[in-house]
This record gives sequence, C-alpha cells and structure tokens, in this order.
Amino acid sequence: MDGTYANAWKWDACLNITAINQLYELEQKLKKHGDPNNLQRNLTRMKGAFEQFYDESSGFAYEDPMDQPFKETRTDLEASIAGSGTENLVVVEVLKPIIRAVVRDSQGNFSKVIQKGVVIVESKQQKTP
Amino acid sequence: MNNMINFGIDLGTTNSLIAKFNTGTVEVFKNPIGFKETLPSVVGFRNDRILLGEQAKTYMEKDHKSVVSRFKRKMGTTETFKIKSLGQSKTPIELSAFVLKELKTFIHTGEAPEAVVITIPASFDMVQSNATKEAGYAAGFKQVVLLQEPIAASLAYANREKNVDLKNSQWIVYDLGGGTFDVALVKIVGGELKIVDHEGDNYLGSMDFDALIVERILAPQLEKKGKFTDLLAQMKSDSGKYNWLWCSLLHRAEDAKIELSNNPSAEIDLSRCDIEDENGKVIEVDYIPITRSEYESIIKETIDNTAEMMKKILTRNSLRPRDLKFVLMVGGATYTPFVRKRIEELLGIPVNTGIDPTNAIAVGAAYFAATKEIDMSGKADEKASAPGALKIKVAYNRASQEREEMFSAKLDGDCAGLFYRITREDGGYDSGLKTLTPRIVEDLPLQEDAFNVFTFKILDGANNLLATDFDSIQIAQGKYSVAGQMLPEDLSLVKDDLNTRDTKLERIFAKNSVLPARAKRSVDVSKTIIHGSDDEIRIIVVEGPSENHFTVNKTVGYLAISGKGFKRDILRGTEIDLTFELSESRDLTVHAYVNASSQEFSQIFNPTARHVPVKILTEEIRLLETRLEEEKVDAMTSENYEVVQELEKLTASVQELQGEAMLLTLDDVTDGRYKLEDRKRKIAQELNQLTSGKRLEKLRNEYGSLKADVAAIVNQSGNDHERRQLNEVIAREHSFLNSTNPRKLEEPMEQLQGIHFQILRRTPDFLVGWFQNLTSKRELFNDQLQARNLIEAGKRHITAEDYDRLAEVNGRLHNLLPQQEKDSKEMQRFITGIS
Repeated sequence: MDGTYANAWKWDACLNITAINQLYELEQKLKKHGDPNNLQRNLTRMKGAFEQFYDESSGFAYEDPMDQPFKETRTDLEASIAGSGTENLVVVEVLKPIIRAVVRDSQGNFSKVIQKGVVIVESKQQKTP
Repeated sequence: MNNMINFGIDLGTTNSLIAKFNTGTVEVFKNPIGFKETLPSVVGFRNDRILLGEQAKTYMEKDHKSVVSRFKRKMGTTETFKIKSLGQSKTPIELSAFVLKELKTFIHTGEAPEAVVITIPASFDMVQSNATKEAGYAAGFKQVVLLQEPIAASLAYANREKNVDLKNSQWIVYDLGGGTFDVALVKIVGGELKIVDHEGDNYLGSMDFDALIVERILAPQLEKKGKFTDLLAQMKSDSGKYNWLWCSLLHRAEDAKIELSNNPSAEIDLSRCDIEDENGKVIEVDYIPITRSEYESIIKETIDNTAEMMKKILTRNSLRPRDLKFVLMVGGATYTPFVRKRIEELLGIPVNTGIDPTNAIAVGAAYFAATKEIDMSGKADEKASAPGALKIKVAYNRASQEREEMFSAKLDGDCAGLFYRITREDGGYDSGLKTLTPRIVEDLPLQEDAFNVFTFKILDGANNLLATDFDSIQIAQGKYSVAGQMLPEDLSLVKDDLNTRDTKLERIFAKNSVLPARAKRSVDVSKTIIHGSDDEIRIIVVEGPSENHFTVNKTVGYLAISGKGFKRDILRGTEIDLTFELSESRDLTVHAYVNASSQEFSQIFNPTARHVPVKILTEEIRLLETRLEEEKVDAMTSENYEVVQELEKLTASVQELQGEAMLLTLDDVTDGRYKLEDRKRKIAQELNQLTSGKRLEKLRNEYGSLKADVAAIVNQSGNDHERRQLNEVIAREHSFLNSTNPRKLEEPMEQLQGIHFQILRRTPDFLVGWFQNLTSKRELFNDQLQARNLIEAGKRHITAEDYDRLAEVNGRLHNLLPQQEKDSKEMQRFITGIS
C-alpha cells in the first residue's frame, strides 16, 4: 500500500478505533472477572462484524500482544519499559491492543497497523509476579 | 513556481515534523509507520542498528547510555554524546541529521528535496543557527534556510486567517509543547515579522502534567486503599517494586488529561490493573474519578509560572497588555482549556487558538518555503555518491511455519558508506538503519497466518534510495506450500433468499484460497422450528462458482438439525453461529452453535464420502421441476418455441428422475442417490444455460425501468442523501450491467427499491393507499379490537392530514397481520431454513 492508500484506511479507521478499543477492554474484563452470561459470544460477533466491515474479506481486526516478546525492531507497539533491564523484554501489560486494517485474499492476509499497541514491557528475568 | 523550496521542517526539541506547500495548501506528511505527523526527536543505537523516533523513545530512559534525546539544546556547543553501544561519541549535529534524514522517509510523493526550510527557536544564536544548517547539509540537503519558530507559527496563523489585518501590530507566541516551553514577542517592523524578545524553560511541558496527576491524585488514592511505604519512590525507581505501575499510570493519566480537555470529568479505569499492597492484599479499586477543577488545581502553579515569564517580557519592553493584539497558542499542551483561560485571565490579553498547536510551526515553515527560491550556488558540498551498481543475491524461505525467518543476502559491489533498512509493509517491523556489508543476515519476524511483505532498501549516507535489482521479500506464514494447496473451486453456504423466495449462495472460501482455512458466519433461522417436530434446519455447503444456483454446484457438506434435536422451539430470527474449518487435506468441519438453546452441533465431511440425503435430493428434484414449469410458461409467453422444446425435454428427464427418487428409501445404502444427484445437477446446469441469457436480459430491462422510476421520484421528493445513494448506484452501473451473474444485478435493484420505498413512505398518497390496502384485510388481523381502534385513528389522521401519525398506524396494523401464515406459504420454496 502506498502512503495515500494507507492514509485513506486511516481515516475510515478513526471512526472505529474507539469502538474496537472498548471491545478489547470488555473482553479483558470478562477474562478477569468471568463470564457467567456468555457475553463473549456477543463480543465475538462484534469482532466478526469489524473483521468484515467493508465486505466479507476486508475490515479491522485487533491483536492482543500480551506475553509477546518485544525488541527494538517492533514497530507495532508503543512500549514503556518497566524495571532496569532492557534485554529479553516481554509484554506484561496491554493498555491498548494492536489494531489492523485487514484484507484477506487468495494469497493470504494483508494488513496495515492503524493503531500501535500501547504496552508495558519488562525484562523476562524480573517480570512482575 | 516550481523553483521554490516548498519543504519546511520543524526540527523540535521533543518532536519533529515535515510539511510541503503545494498549490496553495500545506500537507503535513505522516510517518508511514503509525501515521503520526510527529517524529520524536530521539536517536538510539542498539545492537548495531540506528533507531529513530518512537522506537528509540522506548529505550530513552532505560538505556540512556545508547539513546539520546533533547540534543537540540546542545546545538552549537562542543558537547558530544557518548554512545555506549557504539563505543564512540556523536555530535548534536550528527544526531539532528539522523532525525532530518528520517523525516525524508515521510514524504510519500517520492520526491527527494534538495532544499529545505528548517525552524529554530527564537533563542538560538549564530553558532547554534549555523550548527542547525550543518545538520541540514549532513542530512543531504544542499540548501538550508532557517526560520525562527515563533515567526513560523505566526505565518501559519496569518495564512489561515487571510482577512486579519496584522499591520503595525505585535503579539506573543506561547509555545508549550510536550517537553519544552518558549514564549516570544513578535512584531511587524517595516513590513517584516521580527522576534523582539523571548523567554523559555527547556524542562517544562505537558508530560509533566501527566506525572502530576499520578503524584497528586492517583498515588494518594492508592495509598489510602492499602499498605504502601513510599509508593511514589517505589514507582519512580528503576529497581522499585512498583516501577511497572508508574508507566501504566502515566499512560492512563495522559488519556484522562486528553478527556478532560473536552469533558468536565474523567474516570481513570484501574479495574484491569492487579495491584497488590506490601502485604499481598489486592487493592480493590476500579475507577478513580478526576474532575477538571482538580486537574486545573494541580497544574495551576506551572501555568502561573509561564505567565510570569510573559510578564517579564512585557516589563522589559515597556508594554501594557492592551498593546498586544493576542497571545498565539502553539504546542500540544495548549489544547487544555485551562491553559488558555488562565493565561487570558492573568495577562488580560485575548488568547488566539486559530491554528493547530501540533503542526503550526511546520506548516508555517512550508508557507515560508513557498516564498524562497531554490538557489544551489551556495550549496555545502557535492559528495553525491555514485557507487557502482550493486548486485544482490538473496536466500530465504518463501513459506514458513515459524514466527521468525532468516533472511540472508550477499552483495557484489562497493558497500562503503551505504546502509540498508528492512521494513514490513503492515507497519509492524523496522530493522532500523544498518551499515551495509557484503554479507547481511537478518531475522525477520512474521505476522501469523498472513502473507508478509518486506521492503528492502539500500540507502546512501544522506538517506537517498539507491536503485537495486531487489526490493521486496515475501514470506507466507502458516502455509506449508502455497503452490500445492489451493482450493480448486469456491465453497459456498446455501441460504434461503427471502426476497426472491429462492435460495442464494454465500461464499465461505474463495477459489484459490490457501489451505488450511477457517471462516465464521452467522445466519438467521428463517422459519420457526418446533421442538420435537420433523422440521429441519439444513446447513448445506456446495462446491463450484458462487454465482451459480446451488442445484448446479456439487454438494460437499450437509448437516441437518431437526426439531427433535433441539432442546426447545427455535423461533424465526434466532441466530446460529457457524464455523467452517477446511483442513489441508480438504476435510470440511462445520460447527453450528445455536445460541437460543446453547447447543452445539458438529460434523466433519471428507472428500471421499459425499453426503446426499435422499430427503433433500427429492426436494431438490421437486424444486427443479417447479422452476422448469415456470420457465416454460415464460418462454411460451415470449413465443420462444425453441426454448420451450428444450425445456420440455428437460421436464421429461426430471419426471423420470422423480420417479426413480421415489423408489429410494430414506436410508438407501446403494450408490443410486449419487447417480441421481449427478443427473439432477446436469439438468440444472442445462436449465441455467438455457435461461441465463433471458434472465439477464429481463433483469437489465427491469433495472432500466426501475432506475427511471426511482430517478423521477428522487427528483420530485428525494433529499440529498437519497440523491447521493442513487448516484452511487448509477456510478457502479458499468460493473453490474455487463456482468453475467444475475445476483450482481439484483443487488443494486434491491438498493434502488430501498430508496424508492424510503421516499414513498413520506408521501401522503402512498401512506393513504397503504392504509386502504391494510383496511381491506381487516378480517385477517390477529387482534380485531386493536385493529378497529387503529383503523379509526388512521381515518382521523387522514382527515387531519397528519401523515407522520398515519405512518405509525400503518406500521402497527401491518404488525397485526398473521405473519406466520404468510410466511409458511413463502417457505414452501425454501430449502435450508436459514437466511
């Protein structure tokens, strides 16, 4: 995608980013506090609707980078390093997920990061208990 | 005009931006990664890479021996920054050059400007200004023109508000950014903008406000809820137990700060933070509220200090507040309403917020650049490198199951002074700038289950791209072998089409999809299935072009769930979540989750066993016969006797088929049903071929007259939205009118009908006509008493010409019609029970 095309995605996405972030928050809260009423199903449906926002094969998706390794070459995360170590960093807290504009076609999935994940990372050796 | 510089750069202490003037407007370029206009002015050196902006910022505090920021303040000094990972020092000029070079990558138009305007603070002296110029040259620009930041901001304002007369006036530019504060008195002297006086604080910015929220509001609240010994110190210290919480709270404080710019209060949501006190007790805290007035009270002192600096300028220049036209607000922190209000209050000068505080300086620089001619006579040096053509040989796996793949390349040619950089096109990876050596190896992280495309660039010392014969690395993750595992035909789900009272196909997996694949769909139950009855919902998956009628395609999967299988009645409209999984060996698994009864049904189909239940086969044959009969009547009416003859032949075959199908028992174990199914499919194919031209022609004609009708009614009574909707459909005409797929024509027709109905619903004639039509069915209504009342009310509304109320009555009367009876007739044509 060239710059102009990417920007077009961005403008469309602006409208949805807030909603997707809230969806992620809800999902995390259900994970933490349990889900006696099976709300996860409705969230999954909403995620599905975003994934097919434009048509059956293009829309928006988010990725939870929790526990993923972090290196200086990762540009899909905006990280704050907690602790003093800067080697073997892993994501220990996700404030905002990575949101991508996704197009699926016969060759596979193509995507563009439209919101970097906002995370806290920490060196594996001293990960907060 | 083309000989103007046009490019302007705000080389800031904390953030930098680049903008271009183009035919009257200014575009601020965005970072291709993350789309922000701003690039943090931070340079980092880690593991032989040069990191810029956000990437470097991440390591700023923790690895300060290899990451440098705020070097702008040292411009023009002999101070250098020791870089631990390099084992050498970098000058502020070199570091600024890295930032300038990185900004060049924001330019998406493909231009490589050789001349540029760079802004400098009002406080910069000659040496500092010259150092900035040097940085520009080191970044590869051949002409660098400097411009003072307050003037840039003023230009951005003057160009935006062209009608404002600024002649013989003076004003103050108040620039409160993320980390620095500057204030300058700007005056028009002899028709030119000049900085008369200035003040500043290099360690004051909105980042300090976030920290204040944490220190004064959040930490005290947490301390009240549990036992902590000096929580703040524990948070701020690298080795402190709560260091992670400091980062986390700062982010949340920043969100709250932004929210408070628009709302009188905000809530800081800590319900996802697991905070334990020193005794291991989990702190029960969900939300910490913060009001705008609380926030204002904690930043008041800081803002008051900035006002003091402004007062100093006024005193020094013997000015009274009323001598100033306004205070022009620049910098992200001036979004805060309190900052604006407080400054206005303390100084008694109107505050001007007419420009975007974030990019005003870059925009002003671009406006200035548009007035400066390119002059190459004074260029710094001409060391344009012309390296011999490089030959690149690369090796890597094109398909991978791993999360990382090794990429290696061998280069023939002169690599001296060159760099390379690899970025992933989705914006998730950037190798940073690395020195080019004859042999390079890089571990590339892959996005899961996706086609990963990386851009490979070779750059010279000024970040100019060198043409090479290799520029793209492509790796499919999660696929074994792309060539061998493609789906040969579309796989589609058969659904009832409530509008055409037929079936339609919804594509689940497209032809050439790479296996394995997975898809999800949600469908509605289109007829009520009574618990314990023999009524069924059928999930049928067919293989073949998805434009076809389903009878033409091959059935590859079939899952029927009867009323006996459900725990309760499944009402029309109930949702079913379907998950389809297609393995590499093309086993198709269908899971159906019925939410209303919390039941899950699954079935695996493999390509060796075909599922052709006798029951559905006979129904399909019956449906085929009905279609044949209808087509025959049509062909007779249009006197197309050749087609009639062909259709009669097909009818004979179908009747024969019907006879044979009757003989099959429901649990027939022979291959008889497969043979019948094949024959049925062939007949359906022939029928489609015979009638497809006719159907398309008919649809095209229908579309033509529908379009004329809708255009007429839109012209007469449509609104702008409906006019736009109609024009959108017309604009797409070329794509669907030439299509050989009837579905493609039906879809825009549905849209046109939608517009038609939307307008009709507002017209009195239609509403009255609809009302009369409904009253003629009065004996059918479910609730006669209510219907009588509604009809009376409707008549009154017609007399009073109250058509809004009449529309309501119509809607309610329509709801009283026995829906199920009507549906059940419609449903006879349906096969699946899902839509």
